[in-house]
Amino acid sequence: MLKVINGGIETLVEDWPGRLGYLGKGMSASGAFDNVSLGFANVLVGNPSGKAGLEITGGFFEAEFSDTTVIAVTGTDMKASINGEPIVMWESLQVEKGDIIKFFQIGAVGFRSYLAVAGGIDVPAYLGSKSTCVFGSYGGFNGRKLEAGDEIQIGEPKGSFSELSRNRLKEGVVPEFTNAWELRAIVGPNTSPDYVSQKGMDYLFSHTSKIQHTSNRSAYRLEELPNSFFARTDGGVGGSHPSNIIDHAYAIRGTLNICGNTPILLVADGPTLGGYMCTLQVINADLWKVGQGTPNRDTMKFRLSSQEEATQARIKQNKLLSKNSLA
Amino acid sequence: MEKSVNAIMPGLCARVVVKEGDKISKGQEVAVINCMKTEISITSESSGVVKKVLAKEWDDLQVDDPMVIIETEE
Repeated sequence: MLKVINGGIETLVEDWPGRLGYLGKGMSASGAFDNVSLGFANVLVGNPSGKAGLEITGGFFEAEFSDTTVIAVTGTDMKASINGEPIVMWESLQVEKGDIIKFFQIGAVGFRSYLAVAGGIDVPAYLGSKSTCVFGSYGGFNGRKLEAGDEIQIGEPKGSFSELSRNRLKEGVVPEFTNAWELRAIVGPNTSPDYVSQKGMDYLFSHTSKIQHTSNRSAYRLEELPNSFFARTDGGVGGSHPSNIIDHAYAIRGTLNICGNTPILLVADGPTLGGYMCTLQVINADLWKVGQGTPNRDTMKFRLSSQEEATQARIKQNKLLSKNSLA
Repeated sequence: MEKSVNAIMPGLCARVVVKEGDKISKGQEVAVINCMKTEISITSESSGVVKKVLAKEWDDLQVDDPMVIIETEE
């Protein structure tokens, strides 16, 4: 068991790929915002890569272990420690009953840390997933972020602690973190020439945009687009603004929704439908980068990709999130 | 001894809830940062008197930016 001493800014139980199959009911998939960091943390402690772990956003999470177990910390470096001793990230380590894990504030790069425990975080699955949907208040631990006093159950480990606590990743496997994120993307469905001008498409794939402070697990907001972005002067029957269209399903996660002049990446807990155009789709293999983008600090830029590149990148990433990556 | 209360998250300053001359206790909220469409409380790690308020509403903040200076009792 894990006894929470300080829930920090936003600590959530998340798994991967989250709650699939309910978009038609208006329920987003949720799941780890950085599935790569969660995946590696799980692999390090002998879990399947999608097992539920803790997603620590912003830092300051603190908890006490009630039993001996094996853990791994990945993602941004929040100067995590056990009983005051620094943790080596991206490696597994054994912790003992009574040990206290503490995270400090966000590092110079990245926004979210992940804590995996051998056996996984054991909360009841809701509609097939243990992930928390923050705005929907369901899944995870009582449908909310963790708070002081919460007692989190841990599952059964797959292996002995002595074996699991010696894992580290092969050289070159740890993903590269930055303050300037490049996201590979495929155009569509609402693009040039019907909805976006050619000048607008050029702008979309050349402009570097600061992530706005209002970004969260539902949506990552970018800098406002110029009016020349739009091919139309209004939304026709969809509404008065050229970003308006008749309500349609959104291809979350990773679609770029244009709401007025604001481009918004719809992500983990994002809305499943609405009346705004969507101009591109971030490829699945790059979604983790969105989760590590720090609001009000980092930038994002889109690079034109292809379906073939997206498929190959996803296959390569899935292969990496396995025991093959252990040294 | 002077101590600075710093931003712990990037974001916008929503408000500073103390003014110069106020006596404050350890753990007391001195300011609020707006990030991720939520409000994050910034608390003082020391008791003392507010010597200077450096941040104001709508200020663009990064981690470790000083927001309030405290003259501590230590």
